[in-house]
Amino acid sequence: MSEVKKMSETVTLTIDGKTVTTRQGNTILQAARENGIYIPTMCYLSKVEPIGSCRMCVVEVEGVEGMILSCQEKAVEGAVIRTSGEDLFRERQNIMKLYDVNHPLECGVCDKSGECDLQNKTLEFAVDQQTFAAKDQHRPVKNWGFISYDPALCIMCEKCVRTCTEIIGDDALAIETGGYKSTIVNTRDLSDCAQCGECMAVCPVGALVSTDFKYTSNAWELEKIPASCTHCSAGCQLYYEVKHTSIDNTEPKIYRVTNEFEFSTLCGAGRFGYDFENREAKRDPEKLEAAVEAFRKAETIRFASTISNEEALLLRRIAEKTGAKLVCDEARGFQRFMRAYREASGRNLPTADLEWIRRSRVIVTLGTRLYDDAPMVKFAVATASRREKAQVVYCHPIEDSRLQNQVTQFVKYEAGSEEGVAALLAATLIDKAKAPLELDTLLNGLDIGYLSAESNVSEEELDRLKLTLWKRQRFTLIVGEDLYNHPHAENIARFLAAIENYSDFKLFIIPPASNTLGVSLICDLADEAKGYTVGVNTPGEFVLSALGDGDLDLPAMNQQEGTLVNYEGRVVPTHPALPYGGWELADIARELGLELEHVIDLTPQLPKEEGFRAVAFDDLPDYFDAVGGEHRGYLLERQERGEALRLPEEPEELESYDGTVLYRCNPGKQFSPFTAKTHQLKEEAFLLGSAQFAMAARLEDGDRIRFVQDGIEYERVFRIDTAMKGTVAVNPTFDRGLRSFAISSYRFSPVKIEKAGKADE
Amino acid sequence: MAKVVFSTWRGERIDNRGKAPEAWEESAFKLPENYDEGTPSKAFIGWDGVAIFREDVDAVRLATEYAATYQEYSEACGRCAPGRWGGRILYDLLDKIARGEGSFEDVEHLREVSQTMMLTSKCEIGRTVPKPILDLMEHYKEQFDACIAEQKPSIHYGREDLNYIAKVTAPCIDMCPSHVDIPAYIEGVRDMVFTESLEATRQTMPLAHTCGRVCPHPCEDACRRANLDEPISIMELKRLGADYETDHHLGFLHPKDPKPLRNDGKKVAIVGAGPAGLTAAYYLGLEGIKVDIFEELPVLGGEVAVGVPEYRMPIERYNKDIELVTSLEAVDVYTNHRVDAERLKELDAEYDAVLLAFGTRLSKKVRAENEREDMEGYWGAIAMLDKVNLWNKYGIGEPASKELKDTTVVCVGGGFTSMDVVRCSVREGAKKVIMLYRRDEKTIIRNTTYEEYHEAVEEGVEFIFHAAIERIVDENNKLKKLICNRYELVPDPDGGRPKLEKIEGADFEIECDWLIPAVSQAADLSILPEEWDLKLTSWNTLLTNGRDYMTSRPGLFAAGDCEYGPMTIVNAVGQAKRAASVISRYIYDGKVSLTDEEIMEDHLNKLKVYDKNEKVTGWMPGIPRQVSEKLTVEERKTNNKEVNLGFTGEQAIAEAERCMRCYYISMVAV
Repeated sequence: MSEVKKMSETVTLTIDGKTVTTRQGNTILQAARENGIYIPTMCYLSKVEPIGSCRMCVVEVEGVEGMILSCQEKAVEGAVIRTSGEDLFRERQNIMKLYDVNHPLECGVCDKSGECDLQNKTLEFAVDQQTFAAKDQHRPVKNWGFISYDPALCIMCEKCVRTCTEIIGDDALAIETGGYKSTIVNTRDLSDCAQCGECMAVCPVGALVSTDFKYTSNAWELEKIPASCTHCSAGCQLYYEVKHTSIDNTEPKIYRVTNEFEFSTLCGAGRFGYDFENREAKRDPEKLEAAVEAFRKAETIRFASTISNEEALLLRRIAEKTGAKLVCDEARGFQRFMRAYREASGRNLPTADLEWIRRSRVIVTLGTRLYDDAPMVKFAVATASRREKAQVVYCHPIEDSRLQNQVTQFVKYEAGSEEGVAALLAATLIDKAKAPLELDTLLNGLDIGYLSAESNVSEEELDRLKLTLWKRQRFTLIVGEDLYNHPHAENIARFLAAIENYSDFKLFIIPPASNTLGVSLICDLADEAKGYTVGVNTPGEFVLSALGDGDLDLPAMNQQEGTLVNYEGRVVPTHPALPYGGWELADIARELGLELEHVIDLTPQLPKEEGFRAVAFDDLPDYFDAVGGEHRGYLLERQERGEALRLPEEPEELESYDGTVLYRCNPGKQFSPFTAKTHQLKEEAFLLGSAQFAMAARLEDGDRIRFVQDGIEYERVFRIDTAMKGTVAVNPTFDRGLRSFAISSYRFSPVKIEKAGKADE
Repeated sequence: MAKVVFSTWRGERIDNRGKAPEAWEESAFKLPENYDEGTPSKAFIGWDGVAIFREDVDAVRLATEYAATYQEYSEACGRCAPGRWGGRILYDLLDKIARGEGSFEDVEHLREVSQTMMLTSKCEIGRTVPKPILDLMEHYKEQFDACIAEQKPSIHYGREDLNYIAKVTAPCIDMCPSHVDIPAYIEGVRDMVFTESLEATRQTMPLAHTCGRVCPHPCEDACRRANLDEPISIMELKRLGADYETDHHLGFLHPKDPKPLRNDGKKVAIVGAGPAGLTAAYYLGLEGIKVDIFEELPVLGGEVAVGVPEYRMPIERYNKDIELVTSLEAVDVYTNHRVDAERLKELDAEYDAVLLAFGTRLSKKVRAENEREDMEGYWGAIAMLDKVNLWNKYGIGEPASKELKDTTVVCVGGGFTSMDVVRCSVREGAKKVIMLYRRDEKTIIRNTTYEEYHEAVEEGVEFIFHAAIERIVDENNKLKKLICNRYELVPDPDGGRPKLEKIEGADFEIECDWLIPAVSQAADLSILPEEWDLKLTSWNTLLTNGRDYMTSRPGLFAAGDCEYGPMTIVNAVGQAKRAASVISRYIYDGKVSLTDEEIMEDHLNKLKVYDKNEKVTGWMPGIPRQVSEKLTVEERKTNNKEVNLGFTGEQAIAEAERCMRCYYISMVAV
């Protein structure tokens, strides 16, 4: 960007007599907060652009007449700011009086009471009598599924609408202006939105509350347990809010999940899918004995990636001791892919993080059904689309109309042709002048005509993509699960590494499932399970299951402490929200002769060569600072090596499929049997396809069908999704229990579908 | 200027109550003392004060109605705490007093809530609504006191004998010839709800892509932000909504759902598919009224298509604006359809109304000796730009570079068209391009834009100021050279406008291959049937009253350049929008009428909404205006790529946050 006016990086100003320096472009409020200076606000939300609806944050500026909105107005060099005083107090008090006009006085039954901004500020500004009055109005409560909206309690701060627009990108909420009658409305069927519950998280009053949680507890009775979400590889910050189940049952129960909404965000799975604990487990010495025996004779230990780093390390230690092979189906392909990526890029981890995505102006995605695979990444793309007018090029065999307000170019390719598409992207995105001769030769030698014809990505589409790059900056390439188990995953990884190394693109790799990145760093995985197999949250001859359906129980992730590696390479801690009555892997390990007291003893022993640090679990920080700096655990050390890198090879024949092709993908809020188990997220799994698919597969909406995919037998109902297009149907796995953790095949597969009646039969 | 009983408008203090008629002071402002022909106003109340035209006005009722209007219009705002609740309380308290139930304590609360609104409201509407109310409470205190002390309703309370007609405006909205709801589309950008931004624009401006790119933005001259630091970059923010719709392949967003075709036998013919014709078709089409557009050229879009070059207005984007209109069920277009006098008579007979919107497509002469259109090397600007654009945008005809490559081009002009001529000549490969202009640099910038002039200079155009052609020299009817005079500005000793005077002995010659006159354009009046004897303006365009756009022939309307003379796109759009509104009623009742909204629009325009001397408070000064990135000279000189890359998202939001939302409410009691 050619900045017409060159500015210095920082400005210095005076706030309440204190000289402060802040980044150029920061607001007065940001400058104040960075320096611990308090300015009251009602509508300010750090993670979005200033809303400016409450006007509480007004300040006085020397030499400027009137009151200045500190949340929006920029800190200007030399400005002298006063944040409090008699006049400011009076106006702020009047604003609070206005907010209190006709606000129902039923705090006693309001979920928000005790953590309500309106209560807090009413007290702070000493509103002990009301001098203003207006005719009250009848405003019925609305039920929006997971969320209930009470317009009578709503102060129209607009945080919810702004979050939905700017952070989530769904535009599911809007302001219906009408002055005093103004209200928040949903713009569409909320079953069609991300159902993330962020709107209610950011609500400063009791207007937006969880329908499920409503009237079940006072806020102050709940204990907040800091944790990290384990459903996907985002590892988002959250609090499990816990108290006793009922008057006659003192067992603790998770009532809800909340988050540091000011700075971070949760998706619906994280927010509503929390009660997946393994409740009934008991300590039966015989069962432990049997488990130890099973481990002793196991040739293979097969495990799910829903596991802490410490337990993964523990399994490695056990395997080292017993000589068993380690198999993690979810992580194996990814590990191979990452190793190829490392070899080719010279880096241990890709260069983009979520903040970079949010600031990107061009985003290309490849090999992921983003909306379902990685909600946080999708949200980051949405933010880039809104704030940066990002051009979003979505390359995938299945178009996704839910992303229409973000995607600017949809590039549809044939399932199986990912390697060809990666090569075409490399030829399009790589700056040939920067590329080494050998790569340049390879790219020039690519048979573009063949690749284009086989992948069905036209040269016009690539030209258009190329044009998108013109005069823009901040580029991100996001890739996902479709690639890792592709037969040529390693060559794909090399193409992506080449793009990252020889273009302005930064790469973001979405790991396939919860802690697959951690597992892939900690364990040396074998390709497939052989011989006697102990399954840790996977099928096997002897099964340990946190779902409670195995030979021995294990604690679920909300009953455990330990760390996870999220997709930004951050090692994040999580804490147990609920007690667990059964045996843990550590008990087995001890029986096997390993010395450890708690599993978190292993936290400082995580492999340093992979970038882990020797920090004790209890020393890991877990907070956001006043201006949103994330201090959760630590970032893996980034390693870069300057030596010769392995280049991609020209793709040989591209895969192609005929007939009925299914795509393995869980919908929106489902990630695994753990989300499926929770009471708010329970739902039936369907095979979803477009009308076009239905016609080609000779199916009708509501047909009961049978098929085998990834070696798993399915019998389920087929539904036509009118929002879908194309000839590939989407098949979820979340209802398949532990089997769903034991899939290591490519996501697209041809299947034979058999009809077995109608849905209601 | 206006006869008033009482006025506090713009800080004046006039109180003629009880004075002898000859002692009456007049207001200095063009206040709407007559609402419409033959309808005198009783009072005018607005953001900057109140004016009373009749002694018997009920001030309490007037204040209450004004507060009520704020409630009614709060859909324009209502998005901050002080404005939302404050406005309601203001009204409730005033109504309480007006109906005879108020107390003196209520007056205190009124003042208190007014102060909070004035100091902390988000937009000017909330900050200004209390002002005239407080004025009335001060200067007509006895009426308020009477209501309270005697606990009786005000004189007119509950009576329907007066009409209170209100309108929301803003300085920028008022100055924009299309009266685009600028603060609303800027708010859409600030909120990042770009669809709402676009819908706000399209309420009065269908050509959002176009006027987000090539509008000379008169609104920016009336931006209150200029009173604080620099005006908002209003024009460029308009692009965001339109680009969002196009980039995300959304269906066309209309300001309201288009009505189905009425099929009631009524139909309107429009001559010319330029900005005016398209606009009229759009707003008639939205109402479901059958419209047929007849266009002489093979392409739609008028001068924006064949005049404005690709590098300023990419046709792929303009086509979206055009498609918006042609996608309407009620609109049909006929290209390659020249309407001549005979055809016009047919249309006039066949259609319930005809709108002439054929622009000004005849290049005027430079008025030099030996100026002949048949001379080789003499090329009218309109014809030259037609050739350039038809080839570059549509592949019709042949490239103009065949003629212009390696030649020397002299253009005489000073307006946008001449800028297009010289910059296109550069792109078509001319080896030397000269712009000859009678006046100075400052004037050329004022007549175009700083960017336009600056970019032309960067691209290598040589500007010769204070010069005019005296004689054109040819050889065998082929242009050889130009004999030019030099002028200087001589100050008027009486303090009047400086005069251009020829400098004797300073003549000079330019050898050249092309002379492209782009001094001005004229309307092709040959299409008007002589027997209609249509009234024309002194500069030979169709005469209307400038309010309803009907010509001297009933049922025949005119809008855009053929009415006004060569002017801006936004002017054509504004006229056509108004004409469409008038036509939509005329075809049913045969009457020429304006809506209250339109009458108020004209009153406010006369009164002037923007006050460049007003002191702005409550905003931090010194936040610079954002400047979008432009292609460098090397990147743009030899091609037709769009020069202005537009704002990045970050810039757009920062710029939108500078907008002070200067909405105002005004109201006339009739």
